[in-house]
Amino acid sequence: MNVLMFGWEFPPYKAGGLATATLGLVKGLLRRNEVTLVVPFPVEQNDLAGLDLRSTSGVFQQLTTRRVASPLTPYMSASAYEFERPQALTGTRMATLYGENLASEVERFAQVASAFAAEFAHDVIDVHDWMTYKAGLLAQKISGRPLVVHVHATEFDRSGDNPNPEICRREWEGLNGATLIIANSNQLKRQVVRRYHISAEKIDVVHWGIEADRTEYHLDSPSPLPGPVVLFLGRVTRQKGPDYFVEMARRVVDYVPRAQFIVAGSGDMLPQLIERAVALGLAERVHFAGPLQGEEVYRALRAADVCVMPSVSEPFGLVALESIKSGTPCLVPRESGVAEVLQNALKVDFWDVEEMANKIVSLLEHAELHDELSERGLAELSSPRFGLDEPAQHTMDVYERAVALGGTTA
Amino acid sequence: MKPDICLYFQVHQPYRLRRFRVFDVGTGKDYFDERRNREILCKVAEKCYRPANQLLLKLVQRSQGHFRVAFSLSGVVLEQLATAAPDVLYSFQELVASGAVELLGETYEHSLASLTNTEEFVAQVERHSLLIQRLFGQRPRIFRNTELIYSDDLAPLIDRMGFKAVLVEGAQRALDWRSPNHVYEAVSLPGLKLLPRNYSLSDDVGFRFSERSWSGWPLKADTFARWIADSPGQSVHLFLDYETFGEHQWKETGIFEFVEHFVAQAARERLAFVHPSTLALRQAQGPLSFPTPTSWADVERDTSAWLGNRLQRAAHKRLYRLRPQIIASGDAQLVQDWRRLSTSDHFYYMCTKWFADGDVHKYFNPYDSPYDAFITFMNVVQDLEGRVEDGVMNGAHPEAHLVG
Repeated sequence: MNVLMFGWEFPPYKAGGLATATLGLVKGLLRRNEVTLVVPFPVEQNDLAGLDLRSTSGVFQQLTTRRVASPLTPYMSASAYEFERPQALTGTRMATLYGENLASEVERFAQVASAFAAEFAHDVIDVHDWMTYKAGLLAQKISGRPLVVHVHATEFDRSGDNPNPEICRREWEGLNGATLIIANSNQLKRQVVRRYHISAEKIDVVHWGIEADRTEYHLDSPSPLPGPVVLFLGRVTRQKGPDYFVEMARRVVDYVPRAQFIVAGSGDMLPQLIERAVALGLAERVHFAGPLQGEEVYRALRAADVCVMPSVSEPFGLVALESIKSGTPCLVPRESGVAEVLQNALKVDFWDVEEMANKIVSLLEHAELHDELSERGLAELSSPRFGLDEPAQHTMDVYERAVALGGTTA
Repeated sequence: MKPDICLYFQVHQPYRLRRFRVFDVGTGKDYFDERRNREILCKVAEKCYRPANQLLLKLVQRSQGHFRVAFSLSGVVLEQLATAAPDVLYSFQELVASGAVELLGETYEHSLASLTNTEEFVAQVERHSLLIQRLFGQRPRIFRNTELIYSDDLAPLIDRMGFKAVLVEGAQRALDWRSPNHVYEAVSLPGLKLLPRNYSLSDDVGFRFSERSWSGWPLKADTFARWIADSPGQSVHLFLDYETFGEHQWKETGIFEFVEHFVAQAARERLAFVHPSTLALRQAQGPLSFPTPTSWADVERDTSAWLGNRLQRAAHKRLYRLRPQIIASGDAQLVQDWRRLSTSDHFYYMCTKWFADGDVHKYFNPYDSPYDAFITFMNVVQDLEGRVEDGVMNGAHPEAHLVG
């Protein structure tokens, strides 16, 4: 089958996230399909090194990538776009091309990207989250092929009860126009049904998997810190709950004075988070590492004793799988997508700082708990359901059903 | 010659722990979740104990001495029945008074003491025997350890406590080519009889009764009676959780009607019901050897359900390390709390062998995961350690005065 996919650039620079998920899916699909991947790509950035082709030996020959000049990145907010835009434009000849704001840039990207629908033969169109929905809808108009919408998160997951109405409208258009929808968890499927009144029958759930083995999982990475390490790895935004992480750290330190905490990531909450850590007397305990890239992600995971995800909303939570693959136990929100399928993890309600601290203290105090979680977690992830092939196969099943339905909306 | 039927039911409910965080250590908070334990007990009483006792009583009266069964009731379930559902305790007493029920010995706390500490094991068995005698006027003569845990080295100990026979799992590795449908004796102590569970026929009722994918479904009482009548050997030993009736197998599955018809059908087939103590008088078919601890739990039929992973072993070890000080403290509350923590269920909840046997481990399990079970238990033991320390500091330790 030929797939025209509007997705995101690899290699993924960050842990988890949309690009990692897309890369996993593409790798899984390529064993049986041809994929044309159209991605936004800032022209001034030409560093493509690090794309790992070794582990997929040749399958990338079935992949055609087309880059559309655009400063769009998966988790960009409207204000962040306006902040980034002047920088992205500096010294480039594209200056006049980029949209004035996020919405107009998404629109412009859709116009340019969808043109590939006429150039490349395809059986199905696949898009990944709202910034690419419009491109998919326009491509569908051009080729008449069915549109499969992959939803990784909704605006309600990212922004809680203050969603951007413009983004919501665009999400609804994409979800409504889709032939079929793939959500990465049951929890997200319920969210889509509840928030956008989409028929549940139109939505399939495909939980993400992860590459069975990578050299990064085995990096030798001793911790540079004098004590057990608790790691937060993700965007420092409301959605990921970094504030809960710092409050938890305060509680843990009372019981495990040597404990060290790393916040790896950046985002709009960073200044207030640093302030709060200092106010709590944790200046020497909480270390802000900034956003990690590539191998650094795995080094941090390998060095940590436990990875904590206190996310307010976590439609899936791929970082949990990366953590376990690195041999590091993780704590995940009870309501996350990954918690639906993963047994060997600590699970808490994201707001329950006390319980989070209780569990982390126990894990730091009892090596048995750390080792059992680590060993059982690795064993669990060796199941095919956590690999790349099974999710890809489920995705192909959805493609086939979409093709059978034709280009019409189900 | 048709075999006899030996029916035995286990009745036990633990004192489950309440949520106990590291922040609760040293605050004087109770360990046990009184409300939840009461709720669960009342639910099981409603769905199982009451209707099942009523049915058995009816069958006993109807059969005029033909129908008989054996029970083992743990000390901790009897305590809970006495406070939360006294009528159920009375109905057990009524059943025993009918003469149709034999009560078996076990550890008061339904613990793993036999695997860890001989002194504690004997103490818990003695206390249980005393309780049974006090409540039912019967001194147990047949022994049944927690979940049928048994190994050769326990035989002399069990014999010394005055028991005539032990119920054991009819595990393949002990029986080899032999049938479970006979009375055997301990290789380590000839004369102490062993009654192996026929797990195949027991599990037909206990596990498979309502399983639609099973070739035997739906299991009819006359078919089951026929299977037993056609079985080789002298006696078929059916050992089950009492909660099978109404709880593991809901009443909608027809389990109660099945029991009623089965007892009637057994009479028609001229199958006799016998007590374990009757079997203990019979000639042994030969010795059976259990070099390592065997139980009726999970597919492994060993002790890995309770002490198979590092969490369970660490928790159990930490608990028993406290025993000398707990006993020496002479503090009745400390001793009681410690003993209730020795109940096997706490360790069962920490089992990480999810995928094969996970379902069984979920019955009345108060935790979302084995890790939560471990964390809570370790916090509670830490609190207990603190109380022991405080006791020593405050001179509650009887020898503290002498030392000081």
